[in-house]
Amino acid sequence: MFELREVFFDYDGVPALQGLSLDIAKGERVALLGANGSGKSTLLRLLDGLYPAAKGAVLFEGAPLTAEHLQDDSFTLPFRRRVALVFQNPDVQLFNPTVWDEVAFAPLQLRWPKEQVVARVDETLRLMGISALRERPPYRLSGGEKKRVALASVLVLDPEVLLLDEPTATLDPRSQSQVIDLIQEWKGSSRTVITATHQLEIVEDIADRIIVMEEGRVAADGATGQILGDRELLLRANLVHAHRHSHGDVTHSHPHVHSHGKHEH
Amino acid sequence: MHIPDGYLSPSTCAVLYAGAASGWYVALRRLKRVLLTRVVPLISVFAAFSFVVMMFNLPLPGGTTGHALGVTIAAIVLGPSGAILALSIALAIQALFFGDGGISTLGANCFNMAIVGSLVAYGAYRLMSARAAVGDRRRIIAAGIAGYVAVNAAALCAAMEFGIQPMLFHDASGTPLYAPYRLGVAIPAMMIGHLTFAGMAEAVISAGIVAYLQVADPALLSRSLTLSYTSLVGAAKLRPVASSTRRLWIAVAMLMLLTPLGILAAGTAWGEWSPAELARGASSRAAAVRSLRPEAPSGMQRLSHLWTAPFPAYAPAFVRSRGFGYLLSAMFGVGLLLCLSLAAQRVLERQRRRRAAA
Amino acid sequence: MSGRFLESTAMGFARAITRAMESERIARQRGLLQRLDPRVRVVGLLSLILAATLTRKIGVVAALFGVAVLLAILSRVSLLLLLRRVWLVVLAFTGVIALPAIFITPGTVMARTGALQVTEQGLRTATLLVLRVETAVSLCSLLVLCTPWAMVLQSLRALRLPREAVAMLAMTYRYVFLLVETASQMFESRRSRRVGILPGAEQRRMAARTAGVLLSKTVETSNEVYLAMQSRGFRGEVETLSSLHMTMWDYIGLLLFLLAGAFAAWIGR
Repeated sequence: MFELREVFFDYDGVPALQGLSLDIAKGERVALLGANGSGKSTLLRLLDGLYPAAKGAVLFEGAPLTAEHLQDDSFTLPFRRRVALVFQNPDVQLFNPTVWDEVAFAPLQLRWPKEQVVARVDETLRLMGISALRERPPYRLSGGEKKRVALASVLVLDPEVLLLDEPTATLDPRSQSQVIDLIQEWKGSSRTVITATHQLEIVEDIADRIIVMEEGRVAADGATGQILGDRELLLRANLVHAHRHSHGDVTHSHPHVHSHGKHEH
Repeated sequence: MHIPDGYLSPSTCAVLYAGAASGWYVALRRLKRVLLTRVVPLISVFAAFSFVVMMFNLPLPGGTTGHALGVTIAAIVLGPSGAILALSIALAIQALFFGDGGISTLGANCFNMAIVGSLVAYGAYRLMSARAAVGDRRRIIAAGIAGYVAVNAAALCAAMEFGIQPMLFHDASGTPLYAPYRLGVAIPAMMIGHLTFAGMAEAVISAGIVAYLQVADPALLSRSLTLSYTSLVGAAKLRPVASSTRRLWIAVAMLMLLTPLGILAAGTAWGEWSPAELARGASSRAAAVRSLRPEAPSGMQRLSHLWTAPFPAYAPAFVRSRGFGYLLSAMFGVGLLLCLSLAAQRVLERQRRRRAAA
Repeated sequence: MSGRFLESTAMGFARAITRAMESERIARQRGLLQRLDPRVRVVGLLSLILAATLTRKIGVVAALFGVAVLLAILSRVSLLLLLRRVWLVVLAFTGVIALPAIFITPGTVMARTGALQVTEQGLRTATLLVLRVETAVSLCSLLVLCTPWAMVLQSLRALRLPREAVAMLAMTYRYVFLLVETASQMFESRRSRRVGILPGAEQRRMAARTAGVLLSKTVETSNEVYLAMQSRGFRGEVETLSSLHMTMWDYIGLLLFLLAGAFAAWIGR
């Protein structure tokens, strides 16, 4: 579905992606794992056609995602419907006066007929369990509710590809598990899900394939179990850290991952 | 500085709405060339920022407070068109939502603060910071001075709009129908507060933010805002800006020159409703006003002298002949703006030519 | 005064937020204004404001003020709320501005105390001014109290305001709350760390720095918002759904508003 060939990208001179190449097939559930600054968010944005690659090619089903190509409505309209990105900070995605308007924004921009918009929005609100919030202004929602509205605002399109940028960051445990459950529902469907995260403990639930990123490049690419078992790799990519504690004269050092409530050593 | 409903006559409001509308039109046109949609969120940000700044009460030397507009920093980062729109949006929301400034006077408020304010702030800043590097200390000072001048220019416009009301709009008995204070009172009353407190507040905020941005986020100051973070959709080439800016200036200049004529004409028509009185209307009004003064008791005269004392050069001229006094202040305002704009234009042209040759 | 700066500004923020919350509650009531189409509300109330500006007779302005009060009662708006938020505030500000006019306007003298003379013209002009402002602000407040912001925007769009202007109004409103929240948080954290009251110069510097940080953060957010909009299909023009229908009652209401305004302007000419 996606092909990237030697892609370079920088923010006004600060390099973000340095010669990245990878392929993602339809229906895969992939996790982009990497510390902050490794280029995960940038990659997602390039996959969504929001930034042009400075060098190299980004292809969606063989079609290049370039400025010229995205000026063409006959390509853009279907593309925006089929590929959806959920941003890390929900406030960025909530800019309409009410929750209903927020969820209706995407189908309206894509010029769906009015009745279809209304029906689909109501249905999506119901599915996400937020019908009660429909008249609420987005700035008066809790963190978990904002995330659900943000998700609803892209799910309303029934996209084939979902790009999720740190979907569980800053959420309380209950909201986190709700989001994870949602992602798990898509296992086995034809939906392609690419999640960027640095939280190791959720990766097993949401992905079959892990791509580890380090400094704008692919450091490792393999099945979930295989990558998670490779402690050396995780240490190098700064996803776990060495934790030292001592018993009397003896000092132990082992990789350590923080998670909510439980400690893994 | 926000003018509420009821202070300006409908004809004044209409003329100033026309002036504001032309400013909005030109600003929108100019931004459309660059990429209006790209800057819509940006302008909204600055509008919100300006809105919040106007809520701040800043402590000033001497232990009192004043409030700034935020127009200067908007003009510096967004340029004049963006600032015009940003401030107008902020003023509109303040008027609608918080009753700060009237609806009929929204055009006037936008004209004074959003348009005159932005243009003066931008012109003054560019003039004074010309050729200075982004991190140069001169920019901080330029921002402060530009802010001070812009706020006072806006206040002067508002004062002039107030001051002409009693002269032109009163009923047969001489009762002023809208703002009751003549230029001789309105101008000192408004300007004193702004020359000291509000002007200082804007200067402090503008200079302070520029100083902060020089360290924290210099990209915002380098005016390449519309070029950085290029996204895929609609990245447009920048067209040369001189022509549309000049047109904007000419429009403003013409409006300021026409405004006195417009208001005078409207004022005459407004004063008389009954067709029978139309013929002798003007002369009877003038007679009524003249006759009032001999009747005004000496104590009143002493008091009015007290009010107009701060500006002895003005007061006698206005009290004797309102038409002349009005024209004088209008010309002063126009002259000030034109001088600033012409100077800024010249400096920018020279800069551009030098850069092109290099 | 300078020591209270931080407190009063933080309070100001809290007040701004709660005010907006108030408006949602009243907008949900089933009062007279709430039942009218929002476009009718906008046009109708604006025409009354225009009438208040056009008329020259104190009596007519007073009558229009009475209409505003009546509309408030019929729309379940608490008069006490209007008193606190509108009437007293306007009286304080405009009253202070209008007060000297009573003494310095030339005309027939009514009373005399030492050097100060009260003239009939002075009294009339001051009353006219204050009444006009009270009426206009009351009417405008009624519009905003009884109409959710989203509806106001839709009406403006329906009344042919350019798309971009409406989009900017909507976003600015949103950003104001974002800014206010962020700023409040910044002040809260500063307040808890503050040991004593800072001198004026230090406060100014802090204010400028706060403003700068806020600005940077929000500019960055605006970039992200633009990306988010594009991601969901935005290509330059905001498409909106118009769900406003005019019923017969709306037309009648509109007619009544316009007639009342025209009548007031004509009588008071």
